[in-house]
Amino acid sequence: MVRALSRLSSAETCGTSDNALAAAGLRSTVLKMTDDQELMTAIQAGNARAYESAVKKHLKSISHYAFRMLGDSKDTEDITQETFLRLWTHADTWRSEKASVSTWLHRITHNLCIDYMRKDKSAITSEYLDEHESSERPAELPDREVRLTSLKEALAQLPERQRSAIVLNHYHGFSNREIAEIMDISVDALESILARARRGLKAELLATMGPNKNN
Amino acid sequence: MTLSSERFTAIVEAYGSQPARWPAEERALAIAYSAAHPEAQALQTEFRALDDMLDQFQVADLSLLERNVLSQVARTSEGNVFDHLLDWLLPHSEKLAAWLWRPALVACMPLVCGILLADYFSFGIEGVQNSREEELYLLSLNDYTETFE
Repeated sequence: MVRALSRLSSAETCGTSDNALAAAGLRSTVLKMTDDQELMTAIQAGNARAYESAVKKHLKSISHYAFRMLGDSKDTEDITQETFLRLWTHADTWRSEKASVSTWLHRITHNLCIDYMRKDKSAITSEYLDEHESSERPAELPDREVRLTSLKEALAQLPERQRSAIVLNHYHGFSNREIAEIMDISVDALESILARARRGLKAELLATMGPNKNN
Repeated sequence: MTLSSERFTAIVEAYGSQPARWPAEERALAIAYSAAHPEAQALQTEFRALDDMLDQFQVADLSLLERNVLSQVARTSEGNVFDHLLDWLLPHSEKLAAWLWRPALVACMPLVCGILLADYFSFGIEGVQNSREEELYLLSLNDYTETFE
């Protein structure tokens, strides 16, 4: 931390725009680290307000990640609640030098989702598919809706790790190292999984919609 | 320093067509490579359709779910009477204390409760301090015939 702050002050004294940008980036990283550290220290000490503040900060991202993984709001609620329960009960297992709180929480959610899907494979029914499957046929839907339904179906059919990798990469803005940390794999393995996921999605969409609509 | 075509292909196949999602340490090189090579731009275009479709998939409103989670969280952080009692007995101070004393205290509580209950409800067992007359009376009831034979 001290080293990062001294780098920050030296970058600020340089005066060039690149250095100013670097300094701003470094400052935000340092602030983020400090925020995380302070928040988690307070939670470890049993501070309920700090806990609620952390939940409010990460709730949307965690619930959206769980929903894109499971496709069902009831299961999403269970997984989200379990994730935040663990934030309260296992806050002392978080290490600032290993991961940010966001990465740590997404890792918990990832593991809970994978466990859940492996226990009950039949439960991977997609609520986000049902809304279209119930009444209207694809032919009667607007083109955009058909494409979206096909995409959701293709996502739901991906293996869990591929789905997780593509969701974290495309929707959550995590870096490749952070995603590798969340999924507990190497960056090389992540790239391989991501490439397979994109190939799988393309092939599935090509099969359902034909070459013209995907390309 | 430049990027090989194989590496550029691997990046686009893994991270898609949008440079914002490419690895930060290779982003500048990959952008420069794409600008200089038409086949790289064609590859990006090929993957852009998929990225555009992925962009369209937005999660529906989960505000009800989020309210439920927040109310559950409030209940969790309030804790129960037992937690408050433990916090009062042994507030969070050191990790060692938390790891050793709190579980030990929890383990001892049933024992302490058992002793207190047993002491309070003696279940008809009375003290064995009989008087001298009572002891003589009890002795007189014994059968001593075998001893004398």
